[in-house]
Amino acid sequence: MIEVQNLTKRYGNFLAVDQISFTAKTGEVVGLLGPNGAGKTTTMRMLTGFMPPSEGSAKIAGFDVSQDSMEVRKRVGYLPERVPIYPDMTVQGYIAFWARLRGVRNPTKQVDRVLETVNLSDRRNTLVRNLSKGMRQRLGLAQALVHDPEVVILDEPTIGIDPQQVIEVRESVRQLGKKHTVLFSTHILSEAEQVCDRVIIINRGHIVAQGAPATLRKQLQKGDHLYAQVSGANAATASKLLGAIPGVEGITQQGAGYTIRVQAGKDVRGEVAQKVIEGGYRLLELRPVAMTLEEMFLDVVGKE
Amino acid sequence: MTGTWTIFRREMGQYFTSPISYIIAGALLILTGLYFNGDVAYSLTVKAINPSLIPDFMATAMIFFGPLLTMRMLAEEQREGTMELLLTSPVNDNAIVIGKFLSAWVYYSLLLAITFSYQLIVARISNPDMSHTICAYIGIWLYGGAALAIGLMFSALTENQIVAAFLSIATLTFLYLGDVAGQIVTNLDLARAIRQLSLAAHYTDSFAFGIVRAEDMAYFAGIIVIMLFIAVRVVESHRWR
Amino acid sequence: MRNENITLTRGQIGLWASIIGGIALLMGIIGLIWQGGLTEIVIVALVIGAIGIVLWAVMTPREFRAFVSGRQARYSTSAVFGALLLIGIVVLFYVVLQRAVIILDMTEGQRFSISDETRNILRQVTRPIQITGFYSPRALAQREVDDQFFRLYEDGSNGKITRSYIDPDEQPAMAQKFGITSDGEVFLSYLNTDSSVDFNTVSRLPRSETQERDMTEAISRLLISGTLTVYFDQSHAERDPLSADPQGLSGINNGIRESGLITYPISISDLAASGGNIPDTASAIILARPTTDFSEAEIGVIDRYLQKGGALFIMADVLYNQDAFLRYDGLFNRYLWEHFGIRALDAAVVDEASHGQTLLDIVSAAIYPENDIAKRLNEQNSPTLFKIARPVEVNTSPAENVPNGKVIMSSPQSYGETDLKTLGETETYHYDDGKDIRGPLSTVAWAYNRATGAKVLLIGDSDFATNSLVQSGGNGILFTDGLSWLTGFSDRINFAPQAYGTGSPVIFVDGQTLDVISFLTVILLPGLVFAIGLGIWIRRVRA
Repeated sequence: MIEVQNLTKRYGNFLAVDQISFTAKTGEVVGLLGPNGAGKTTTMRMLTGFMPPSEGSAKIAGFDVSQDSMEVRKRVGYLPERVPIYPDMTVQGYIAFWARLRGVRNPTKQVDRVLETVNLSDRRNTLVRNLSKGMRQRLGLAQALVHDPEVVILDEPTIGIDPQQVIEVRESVRQLGKKHTVLFSTHILSEAEQVCDRVIIINRGHIVAQGAPATLRKQLQKGDHLYAQVSGANAATASKLLGAIPGVEGITQQGAGYTIRVQAGKDVRGEVAQKVIEGGYRLLELRPVAMTLEEMFLDVVGKE
Repeated sequence: MTGTWTIFRREMGQYFTSPISYIIAGALLILTGLYFNGDVAYSLTVKAINPSLIPDFMATAMIFFGPLLTMRMLAEEQREGTMELLLTSPVNDNAIVIGKFLSAWVYYSLLLAITFSYQLIVARISNPDMSHTICAYIGIWLYGGAALAIGLMFSALTENQIVAAFLSIATLTFLYLGDVAGQIVTNLDLARAIRQLSLAAHYTDSFAFGIVRAEDMAYFAGIIVIMLFIAVRVVESHRWR
Repeated sequence: MRNENITLTRGQIGLWASIIGGIALLMGIIGLIWQGGLTEIVIVALVIGAIGIVLWAVMTPREFRAFVSGRQARYSTSAVFGALLLIGIVVLFYVVLQRAVIILDMTEGQRFSISDETRNILRQVTRPIQITGFYSPRALAQREVDDQFFRLYEDGSNGKITRSYIDPDEQPAMAQKFGITSDGEVFLSYLNTDSSVDFNTVSRLPRSETQERDMTEAISRLLISGTLTVYFDQSHAERDPLSADPQGLSGINNGIRESGLITYPISISDLAASGGNIPDTASAIILARPTTDFSEAEIGVIDRYLQKGGALFIMADVLYNQDAFLRYDGLFNRYLWEHFGIRALDAAVVDEASHGQTLLDIVSAAIYPENDIAKRLNEQNSPTLFKIARPVEVNTSPAENVPNGKVIMSSPQSYGETDLKTLGETETYHYDDGKDIRGPLSTVAWAYNRATGAKVLLIGDSDFATNSLVQSGGNGILFTDGLSWLTGFSDRINFAPQAYGTGSPVIFVDGQTLDVISFLTVILLPGLVFAIGLGIWIRRVRA
């Protein structure tokens, strides 16, 4: 459970995080989405008790991050953006160290369990320095989970690893979401869309939008799009032809076909087919296009 | 407490599982061994065996040896990013610094204990002033603790080990040479003040002579406490800087 | 991540102003503490600092405000203040402990502790004593080492003894007043009521291994000083205690004074004429080769003095005049023989075995160390050298309660030339069997009356104490120890210093053992450590 109220962080006179508020319930995977320098890492650091907020409050599992920092730290598993490693320790020793430091009762058992979870059991005696990047990422995940925290905070866990491993990590995060509250940051939208129950878009320290990916899409999507491929007509005639249809707001050429922006809520597919046939051309393809979150995101962020 | 113990254990493990710490220890033992044999050969005819031989040597050696032991301790945590994890773990900031300091001190104490075997050899072939030697060892043990605390403080200041080592060596050299401040400074009171600050003056005039002065203990304990306090504040500053 | 609203140039000016201002302020404050006042440089630095800070505030007001009120300022200020507070506490603690002088001496010989005997002596100190050390900054380390020893004395005397250190480079006038010759010299003296040094009581502390004995003896001498008075008789044309000539006695006179004794001239013949007495406070009367013999009245003066436990130091030389001092059959010689069982003989010692310029240069051949006078004398290392000495006779069956004894004997090849007339006129001598006295002859004798406490030391020579000869061999020791015995000086400062170890003994081993030791310490021990390291490295490579 994460409750954030008007959280603000100032560096000198620079506002890194400006009055953000949100909550994340148990069993929820919340994505913090935003470009680099948006304030994602700062927000997470405040939530982990690494740095105190300038204003506002944040509660983790009911404990305030400024007042009960120790209680908060016990209940948070944190994976910083760059996986922190002790190169000269073995995988097992590394995880056991963090387990002991966080007061885990039965370190050996927990270490075994968590290594099993992240699929590193066969590497337990390898030195951390000899692990591949993806394995290190999983190792980082393992240390964040070893004390079975209520809240897991992951800062860009998929950055810089190869696609196969990205899929693995995303899968792990989704699995985590079943038991823990997961706050996870990314600047890749599709990732947020795939993994998260809820997405918070943050830019320049402000929350720009938040909600479930589907809701968010609806909220942000300002109109429908159609894609049409027409044979026999050049660009000018095609736009003229299609532009005359009521409800069509704009036409852009895209590859061999055209993207038609349509007023929200209007279905103009029939009219399009009819016009094309009437004009003596052949309609090769006609389909509705769903705008990606990425495009919406850029749309939103770009306006700031 | 548990935090300190856990950190301490990890650092000790680091010392015992890293080949470099064995190389450092071996090299130091060769030096002290040569030094010891030189004194034994000299004592055959010319003079009595020096009761504070190895401690005297360590007083100089700690200028380089101390920073070597501490330079990575906090600097590496910052460079590898583990500092962020330590600071978000449920441990006190004090525990991090103290755990690390204690491990360096214990490692150093073990090395001192090994060199004490020379004294046992001397005891077999001669009749040395054992309590004098023990006194000198107590002194150099405290002296080493202070030098390590200084090294640790500089390790906290920077994430570059080399810079940390350089700064500590420079400071320790200054504190060591403070003993001869009188040679450089003509104002007697100033020279005395500088001398009171120097590490060597609190060892060479007392412990090395076989006497324990309360003020020297206070000095070394004070240096350790102050340096660790500053180190903790510096570590803490990661939270707000 | 600087705010974009601030223009680059303004920002840069502000930045540089803040840096320069900060450094200048810091330098100004350091200078203020260092030089202890507003010197020109300090003022300039402070002004530059103030201008820099104002410029910073004007050029980049937002940054300035953020710095002053921001959390960084708050946190760093509290950290700095915390550190300063801690340093203050540590310094306070340190100073208190330094004042308290808590020292644990762990050396086997207890070389850095003061003995109970010293403590007893320190308890007798009533008038403030100052230890004045002259150390230039170059001798600072020496000073610190000495200081912790002197501190024991300050502590042991409840602050009656204080320490003062002077830099001779800084106060050359003071150094000259004390007469220092080298860096690191230490002096002991009483203080006047106005805390100034009483220069009449200054004595130099010798530098040797036995620092406690040196120091404690010096303090004892100070304690005694003024309580012992020695009189030189001046009424029989004796040797002059003020003369610095080779034949004078200024050397021993100054030596006595430096030891803390007071010396005065006295005229026994005047006392005899006026019927006066030698003061009771006189610790000893020195008759430094009177040329004429003493009258009955004069002997009466001496006798009254001796009856009260006085001490008499007689130097009797070979004289060629008629009424020579201590003639064999003279009144005084008879008085000595009757009361103390010692007397001078009318002869001059000739030593056939002498290596001196003439056979009249008499070197001590045998020394009887039963008496304190001769304890430090030794035939080999510190022989005494007499010129034209008189033999003295010791009654081998002395009166009860008046023990006596010989101190120095001439060689068996010596004899006593009795033909003093010829000797005086022609400076020739030869042994006449039956007439001359067979050697060996005693030249120094002592006697002590247990009942009255009177002491007499009779030395058949006076040349040994002159400025020209007092430094030769054991002459100086004979004089000072003779006087100490007479005055009881040695009893009063006599103190047995604790056993001083001269360091642990050297090593006695054969080369084979040495080889084993070097193998153990230089090869085996580091080798083991390296081997473990190698093992761990191999394991790691495999991991």
